[in-house]
Amino acid sequence: MNAMTDKIRQIARRLLEEGKVDMVVGFRKGTVPMMSEPCFIKDSARVDALVWDGNCGINLANYLTRRKERMAVVAKGCDTRNIVTHIIENQIRREQVYIIGVPCQGMIDKRKVKNLADGEVLSVEEKDGKVVVTAGGGEKSFDRTALLQDNCAICHHKNPALSDELAGELVRENPDVDRYEDVRKVEAMGAAEKWKFFDELLSTCIRCYACRNACPLCYCPTCFVDESKPQWVGKGQDPTDTRTFHFLRAFHCAGRCTDCGSCERACPMGIPVRQFTKKLEKDAKELFGWEAGMTLDARPPLDTFRPDDPGAFIK
Amino acid sequence: MRDLKIAKTDWAKGVEKLFGPYRVFGPKKEGLFHNFARLEKGEAPDFSCKNTRLSAKGLIYPQTEKMFEYTLDPNKPDHHVHKEPVKDYSPMAVLGIRPCDAKAFTLVKLNFDTPEYKDPYWIKNYAAATFVGLACDAPCHACFCTSAGTGPYDTAGLDVLLADAGDFFLAKVLTEKGEKLVAAAGWAGAGDAGAFEAKAKAAGDKVVSKVNTAKLAGKVTNDLHAAPFWEDLAFACINCGTCTYLCPTCWCFDIQDEVCGTEGCRLKNWDSCMYPLFTMHGTGHNPRGEKAQRVRQRFMHKLKYFVDKYGAGIHCVGCGRCVTACPVNIDIRRVAEIMNGYEPGKDCAV
Amino acid sequence: MKGLLEHMGIEPGRLHFSWISSAESTKFVDVVSQVTESVKALGPAQNFIKREPKVA
Ligand code: SF4
Ligand code: SF4
Ligand code: SF4
Ligand code: SF4
Repeated sequence: MNAMTDKIRQIARRLLEEGKVDMVVGFRKGTVPMMSEPCFIKDSARVDALVWDGNCGINLANYLTRRKERMAVVAKGCDTRNIVTHIIENQIRREQVYIIGVPCQGMIDKRKVKNLADGEVLSVEEKDGKVVVTAGGGEKSFDRTALLQDNCAICHHKNPALSDELAGELVRENPDVDRYEDVRKVEAMGAAEKWKFFDELLSTCIRCYACRNACPLCYCPTCFVDESKPQWVGKGQDPTDTRTFHFLRAFHCAGRCTDCGSCERACPMGIPVRQFTKKLEKDAKELFGWEAGMTLDARPPLDTFRPDDPGAFIK
Repeated sequence: MRDLKIAKTDWAKGVEKLFGPYRVFGPKKEGLFHNFARLEKGEAPDFSCKNTRLSAKGLIYPQTEKMFEYTLDPNKPDHHVHKEPVKDYSPMAVLGIRPCDAKAFTLVKLNFDTPEYKDPYWIKNYAAATFVGLACDAPCHACFCTSAGTGPYDTAGLDVLLADAGDFFLAKVLTEKGEKLVAAAGWAGAGDAGAFEAKAKAAGDKVVSKVNTAKLAGKVTNDLHAAPFWEDLAFACINCGTCTYLCPTCWCFDIQDEVCGTEGCRLKNWDSCMYPLFTMHGTGHNPRGEKAQRVRQRFMHKLKYFVDKYGAGIHCVGCGRCVTACPVNIDIRRVAEIMNGYEPGKDCAV
Repeated sequence: MKGLLEHMGIEPGRLHFSWISSAESTKFVDVVSQVTESVKALGPAQNFIKREPKVA
């Protein structure tokens, strides 16, 4: 067991025993390799179920809304930014959450591991910056950095943006890494080429909406794609409808997306859906100097007007 | 039933001959994963994957299917009349379907083809298909087919079953439809029933994942329904429906009209009990408004209601898709064990 | 919104935004003629159009 897991259990036990919170939201060990399952613990005798490893990529901020309990939540950098976003959007109250902040080393990309392993992946162990993958065809060891999820590899905010207590030493941030190489590549294409790029990207989408549901930002009681009176968008497998869904989902995340990668991780078809949200995230940064969820003290650019807002697109 | 041996070179030649008499479908890599797709002449089904990401159910029951069309344009002679859309029900050859997916069709049939109700679209598609199965010699670790009433060499729902034996396939021709297909392909070499059986036994022993379901039928429905473990089991679920879309046995659909100007049609789309809208009433009331209720519904349907209603085992063939694809690791094997072992009043370790 | 639409391949020049007060009649005329001109130059849209749902 790693030190982080140990510390998380300690904190959780104390909080529950002292009655500071009613429940702790964290991860427990999964039943298949490279999967940890979000769970809640209410009884301090059960805190030993909690774990922390490179498979905790699902964003736990998603589990906090519409609840009455006082909760502690185990949160990595991006999760804390989504918690901040929830607070400034009045989805949760600051007093309601106790944030157990996890300085994050990045999450392991299960698809990368599957591609690199010989045969079916049977177990994955992390140790000292290495990841040992045991598969049907034998054992292989990789540098952890080579297996990170795409969003984690370019992360600027690994440390919690807001926390009540840390579960480990802060990690070194990497502010120089280029976050937008892929977006610029698309920006450089012509209109027809862009259209084709996204057509291919979405060609295997089954519209299960796992990407939407895994995202903490999507908390509307009824999503526009589900409405049938009026029917904003067709419900079938028509590519125009599929694209409408993706375009609008992304747009609803403008200035709010933290690039946590939960959407991409959740997609059963492995579609890089972040290609939509990243463009907006880049624009928010370049046009408004805004990164979502970094502070409780400022309003996001899309719900405020400032006289110096960029307006070049308005004639 | 008859045993055949098909050299891999003859296999390729035979598949070529199927184009023409059949529309040919087989696994094909699309994006990151394999799925069943219509193959063009010259294309070979790709048997390198353990199983397709989506099940084969979409071949017979497409995710979006037109039920009828209409026009509201009074200038057209057939306005305000429901017209049957033109569809291709010519013979299809489905190559390389895994036994679990083929078995799943037999479970879905219990719902779409009953004495009282018949779903014409499903029935016609199913009748058009000849299924050539590919036995699993290396079952995945998440598969539990042998606990779900089927197995890596199960012949249920298949017309032909192939077993890969290196340079050749050992085959069992199981039905009339299967005979027709092997005749069209020109496969005729005599097989080896003994070798086939031996491979089947070896494969069955390799299914490592076992789930106990024997006690489910004896449980009191309301006890399970009221059991205290649902909130814990359901907590992680994001209601994405991935489990149901990928599942070969899930059969629920939603009906939607789409109209553009005066032209319209009615569509049958896959739906999922995991979606809040699934049970939304016209009044706005939703009897399954909470996530835990929906998760409970999925498992109660698969592991209890279905068991009781049809007496045909669980509504699951153990293909393992939902186990590996669920983004938050909700594992039907674990849920089945908990339900199977549950005694009201006793603490259930979740 | 314009940014993302163009990012996914809608031609620049197809979508326009303007802020026109009810008193600015000449601006309105100008903008409308500019918009129509630029959209005509692009020709009819080929993408993001659905007439009939595509089914499998
Ligand atoms: S999760 Fe993937 S398959 Fe599902 S709707 Fe999103 S992009 Fe499409
Ligand atoms: S859109 Fe994706 S990356 Fe952005 S916050 Fe939502 S889940 Fe995270
Ligand atoms: S069980 Fe898993 S796959 Fe199914 S709806 Fe819930 S989160 Fe999605
Ligand atoms: S419930 Fe899961 S394991 Fe069972 S048939 Fe469906 S997808 Fe496969």
